Amino acid sequence: MNEAAELDLQGLVRRYGSTVAVARMDLAVAKGELVALLGPSGCGKTTTLRMVAGFVDPSEGRILLRGRDITRVPAHKRDMGMVFQSYALFPHLSVADNIAFGLHRRGVAKAEVAQRVARMVALLKLDGLEARLPRQLSGGQQQRVAVGRALVINPAVVLLDEPFSNLDALLREGTRIELRRLQTELGLTTLFVTHDQAEAMAISDRIAVMNQGRLEQLGTPREVYERPATRFVAGFIGRANLFEAKPGAGGGLVSEDGIPLDAAGGAATYVLRPERVTLVAEPADGANAVSGTVEVLSFLGNGVQAVLRLPGGRALLVEGAAALADRFRPGAAATARWTPADLTAIPQV
Amino acid sequence: MISLGHSFGWFLRLVAVIAFVYLLGPLFVIVAASLSDTGYLVFPPQGLSLRWYQAALADARYLNGFFVSVRLAVTVAAASLVIGTAAAVALTRFHFPGRAFVEAFFLSPLVLPGLVLAVALTLFFASTPLVPPGMTRLVVSHLIVGVPLVLRVMLPVLKRVDRSVEEAARNLGASPLKAFFLVTLPALKPGLFAAAALAFIFSFDEVEMALFVGSAREAPLTVVLYGAAQMAFDPTVAAVSALLILIALILMVAQQLYAQR
Repeated sequence: MNEAAELDLQGLVRRYGSTVAVARMDLAVAKGELVALLGPSGCGKTTTLRMVAGFVDPSEGRILLRGRDITRVPAHKRDMGMVFQSYALFPHLSVADNIAFGLHRRGVAKAEVAQRVARMVALLKLDGLEARLPRQLSGGQQQRVAVGRALVINPAVVLLDEPFSNLDALLREGTRIELRRLQTELGLTTLFVTHDQAEAMAISDRIAVMNQGRLEQLGTPREVYERPATRFVAGFIGRANLFEAKPGAGGGLVSEDGIPLDAAGGAATYVLRPERVTLVAEPADGANAVSGTVEVLSFLGNGVQAVLRLPGGRALLVEGAAALADRFRPGAAATARWTPADLTAIPQV
Repeated sequence: MISLGHSFGWFLRLVAVIAFVYLLGPLFVIVAASLSDTGYLVFPPQGLSLRWYQAALADARYLNGFFVSVRLAVTVAAASLVIGTAAAVALTRFHFPGRAFVEAFFLSPLVLPGLVLAVALTLFFASTPLVPPGMTRLVVSHLIVGVPLVLRVMLPVLKRVDRSVEEAARNLGASPLKAFFLVTLPALKPGLFAAAALAFIFSFDEVEMALFVGSAREAPLTVVLYGAAQMAFDPTVAAVSALLILIALILMVAQQLYAQR
C-alpha cells in the first residue's frame, strides 16, 4: 500500500461468531489527513475504529502505524487520542485533571503538564472552567474537554467516535468547523466515525463509505457524491434517483419503468441527483423528460424539495430554487427534464 | 408541596406520622426506660437517673462485647467489600456459561433465615478442623451474608458505570489495572460506602450465628445483651441500647455533614 501512510489498515476482519462485523477492510490514512468512516448503524465503522484503538482484537489483518505493526499492541501503548461519543470524561476529576490525565500517564514533568494543559484550555476556550467537574459543564464544554484530553498528548492518530452526535444542531455545525480548523492547524492524522453524511462531507479529506462490514467506496466528498461506486453509496450520500437503463426498442436506453434515457454510456445503473432535474409546466417529448403530478413541495429555506409522482408509480425527487414553490402547487401537472451529463453511471451494482 | 387535593394531602400526612411513630416509638421507649430510677425496666420511667449508664460503662462485659462487635463488624465489612466487589466485577465484566446461575447462587444466602444458617454452620464447624473456633468462625459465618450484601449493592452500580470511561483511561495510557484503580474505583465510591455500611451493620447486629458459633470468651455485644436480658431485666440493657442509638445518631449526622460539604 501507500508508503507514506501514517495509519494503514490491511485486510482487517472482525467476526463475532458467525456474523462478520468488518469484512476485509483496507484503508490507508496519510499524515495530517482526516478520513471519515461513514455508514448506517451496524455497518462496522465503530468496530473498525475500536480495532484501531485497541479495544477490539481483529480476527484477521494488520494495523500499521508509521509502518510499525501494532495489531497486538495493547490500547494503552498505542499513542492514540480518542474522543468518545459519550465523551467519557472522568467524573471525579476537574477539567484540568481530565486534560492532564494522559500527560501524567506519560510521566511528563509537572511544570510542562501545567503549561500544556493551559495551552489546551486556551485553545479550546475553556478558560475559567479548569477547576469545574464534568457534571458542572454544558454539553458543548464537555465535548471540548474530551477533545482537549485527546489532543494534549500529541497522539499519532486522533480517533473521533461520533463526537458531535450529542450536541444540538446549532452547536454541531460550529463545533465541527472548529474541530476541522484545529485538525488542519495541528496537522492531526484523524479517523472520524459518523453516520451523518452531511457531517462527513463537511469536514473530511476523504470518506470511506461502509455498508454491512464492507468498504463500499473510498474517495473525496466530491468523488463519492458525483461518482458513487455503488447503488448503496448513491443512495446514502445525498438523495438520488436511480435508473436501471437497458437498450429499448428504438435503439436508445430505457429505464426499468419505461422512461426513455439519453446517457453518455450504455446499459448501466444511472444516478440522477435531484438538483439536476428541471421542473417545467409545459409537456415535453423524447428522452430525459417525463411528466407526472407534483405530490409534495417542501420549502427548506434555501430551496425547495419536490416529489413528482410518475404514471408508472415512481416518486422522482426534484430540488430547485425557492421560486419553484411559486410556480407549482401540489396536485399540479409538471414535466421533469435533464441532460445526458446529469446521468452518472454506477460502475458496479 | 402536596397538591393532590386537600383531603388526600391530610391523609398522606397522617400516614407519614403513623410511620414515624411506628419506626421511632421503640427507640423512644428504650431511651426513656434507660433513664428510670427503678431497679427494673419500666415505661413510662419513674424518677430520672443516669445510674444505669454508669452501671453499663462500669460493666466490663458490655465494653468488651462492644469492642468484639466492632472488631468483628470491621473485619466482616472489609473482607465482604473486597470479595463482594471482586465477584461483582467478574459477574458484570465477563461473560461465561452459567453466569446467571452463579449470580443467583451468590445471592442465595440472603434468603436463608439466620437460624438455619446458624444451625448448619454449627454442624459444619463441628465436623471440620479447618476453621479455628472463636473470632475466625464468626467472621467466616458473617461473610456468608456479608458478601452477598455487598454483591447486591455493587452489581447494579457496576452495571451502570460507563465502560467507555475506563476505555478512555486506557486510551490515554493507563494499563487496564491502573485504569480500574484510577477511574473505575472512584466512580464506585458511593456504592462501596453503602455496601460496607450494610455489611458492617449486619455483622454488628447479628445474634443467631453469634450465639451458635461464637465462643463465650469473645462474645459480641448482641450476645452479651441477649444473655443479660434473659437473666436480669434491669435498665442497664436499655442504657447500653440507648448508647448504641446515640453512636448511630452521631455517625448519621457526621455522614450528612460530610455529604453536604
